[in-house]
Amino acid sequence: MTLFVTGLNHRNAPVALRELLAVEEDKLRELVHDLQASEVLREVVVLSTCNRVEVYGIADAPGEARALAFRSLCRHRGVDLGVVEPLLYTHLDADAVRHAFRVSASLDSMMIGEPQILGQVKEAFALAQACEAVGPHLHPLFSQAFSVAKRVRTETEIARHAVSVSFAAVELAKKIFDGLGGRAVLLVGAGKMSELAAKHLVEHGAFPIYVANRTWARALELARALAGTAVPWDELPTALGAVDIVVTSTGAPEPVITRGAVTRVMHGRRGRPLFFIDIAVPRDVEAGVDGLDDVYRYDIDDLKQVVDANLRERAREAQRAETLVEREVSKFLARQADVEVIPTIVSLRARLEEIRLGEVSKTLARLPDAPPETRAAIEALSTAMINKILHVPITKLRASSRAGASRSWLELVHELFGLGRHP
Amino acid sequence: MHSNLINVAVIGYVVATGLALAHLVQRHDLVYRLSVLAALAGWAAHTVALISRSLELGAPPLGSLPDAIWVAVWVIVLLEVLLEQRTGVRVLGAFVLPIVVVLSLKATTARPGTLAPALGSAWIWIHIALAMVGIAAFVFNFAGAIMYLLQERQLKAKRPGAFYYRLPALQTLDRLTFRTLALGFPFLTTGLVLGAMWARAAWGSAFAFDPLAFFSAVAWLVYAGTLAGRAAAGWHGRRAAYFSIIGFVALALTLGAGLFLPGRHGS
Repeated sequence: MTLFVTGLNHRNAPVALRELLAVEEDKLRELVHDLQASEVLREVVVLSTCNRVEVYGIADAPGEARALAFRSLCRHRGVDLGVVEPLLYTHLDADAVRHAFRVSASLDSMMIGEPQILGQVKEAFALAQACEAVGPHLHPLFSQAFSVAKRVRTETEIARHAVSVSFAAVELAKKIFDGLGGRAVLLVGAGKMSELAAKHLVEHGAFPIYVANRTWARALELARALAGTAVPWDELPTALGAVDIVVTSTGAPEPVITRGAVTRVMHGRRGRPLFFIDIAVPRDVEAGVDGLDDVYRYDIDDLKQVVDANLRERAREAQRAETLVEREVSKFLARQADVEVIPTIVSLRARLEEIRLGEVSKTLARLPDAPPETRAAIEALSTAMINKILHVPITKLRASSRAGASRSWLELVHELFGLGRHP
Repeated sequence: MHSNLINVAVIGYVVATGLALAHLVQRHDLVYRLSVLAALAGWAAHTVALISRSLELGAPPLGSLPDAIWVAVWVIVLLEVLLEQRTGVRVLGAFVLPIVVVLSLKATTARPGTLAPALGSAWIWIHIALAMVGIAAFVFNFAGAIMYLLQERQLKAKRPGAFYYRLPALQTLDRLTFRTLALGFPFLTTGLVLGAMWARAAWGSAFAFDPLAFFSAVAWLVYAGTLAGRAAAGWHGRRAAYFSIIGFVALALTLGAGLFLPGRHGS
């Protein structure tokens, strides 16, 4: 009986194949039922997302189970098994545990730290549970995987830093301003990306929003969409004095915001920083404003650079997360191992206790006049002997099971102490 | 008893500093909590040490400059832990605690001087106590200025590095330096004025040359200028931060002069 996971993911399988194999919920339910009914798998969970198709299961012959699972999947989607087979990876036991933890914790995702995968694993697990395909092996595995994922999210910054340009701009604003609540935003030009950045800023409390556009009608339209105020194009230099964040994305061939214009407004701002998010190419804000105090200007390349730095930061955090996962894997395996030997330890103890009780009562029957102290001493002596005798075998059993070699030891103990056949 | 407790306190602060710096690099939650714990343990020992010192002297533990610095350190550690909890700026310790360690070591290595026997007036205690609270506030002013400059550099360079991720927003840091300046300045001013008045009463002249008094006057001028600049000319950010650093250097020289040069404040 072995825990295994088999499947393919974004790393080894092209999207054309992944999208063919991605299964919708109804079919997934059917597949889990079929696999469960096959007798080859005792327990099974099937995870199917746009980036991976994986079968987690408990089987006596994982190879057979894997062939069965993917044969029916391929048949269902009309894919040649021969195409899929060479791409499949299979992990057993400890490796499978590690894989389950890493996938749930988003360490195996295309975008490390993305938040969707945990929900998808939870759904897959719930579906398998509904099909009664989850038992004493997969249940603890997945419960543990969920808690590991949660720990990774809260204890590392793997999901913290923005990986999109518009979110990176919001994060930068938060490093400049003491909170975004009540910060005024001016949108210059009307690009999709600047609108998105403005929306993110609003979500973080930025208010009010001003919109300036060469085309007045377009300014009005966008202002309405963002619940903002349209500003006439000629008033742009004045508007600069009143806002905190400026998002530009015009199609103008020349900068629309010059160093001179910014220098003029900075005097009246009394140290309030001014943050330019320039998404336009060619750029809308003169690079010369960088030399001004309290002015921060990020163009599209700068923002990409920030995103890259964030990705590196995530990767560093992922290293920490891997260590955490590794620790959780060994804890999980140790607990599993204990679970495996506990029934034997319990029956061994019961067997010896039974012998002890029998012998003690026989002895006491022969000593009817023995004072209570003697009786207590006999009880204590026999109990101490049992415990001493059991100590080494129990330690040995636990150790052997943690080393993954418990089977022969368990059989031996059952045989030696007449505990009946080991299941 | 007193010196043993002070040693425990110093060990606590050194450990807390090490852990706070490790947290700055590693950001392990546990490391941070241990750092706070070490600082609090050191502070608790420090509190008992101050009480026992004061019982031993039969007077506030402010009679000599090293003693007074211990009180300043005590205030700084307390403020550091409180501010960190209140503002959630967990990196504060990494900037403030090293200063705590330097001050502690300065105070332990200084000659255990005693002040002139003229310490009769209650004003002198107030002079010292106010000056020490002022110094405590300026330690935070200095730390805030350093953090501001680091964060501003990163934001201007557009290459986010370690400090970009760990330090709070520029405006938060600028506010921290402004508030600590506004808090520390009245304390320092009153402390200096009282000192001068008392000196006049004790020695007949308020401004006779004393190295500590000289440097503290320099520090006062720098801080006064910064505060005036902030209030009247709208100074802020980088310029204010530079002045905070200059002021703190003058303050450090003040303490150094008091500890290591002969004068009215030393032996």
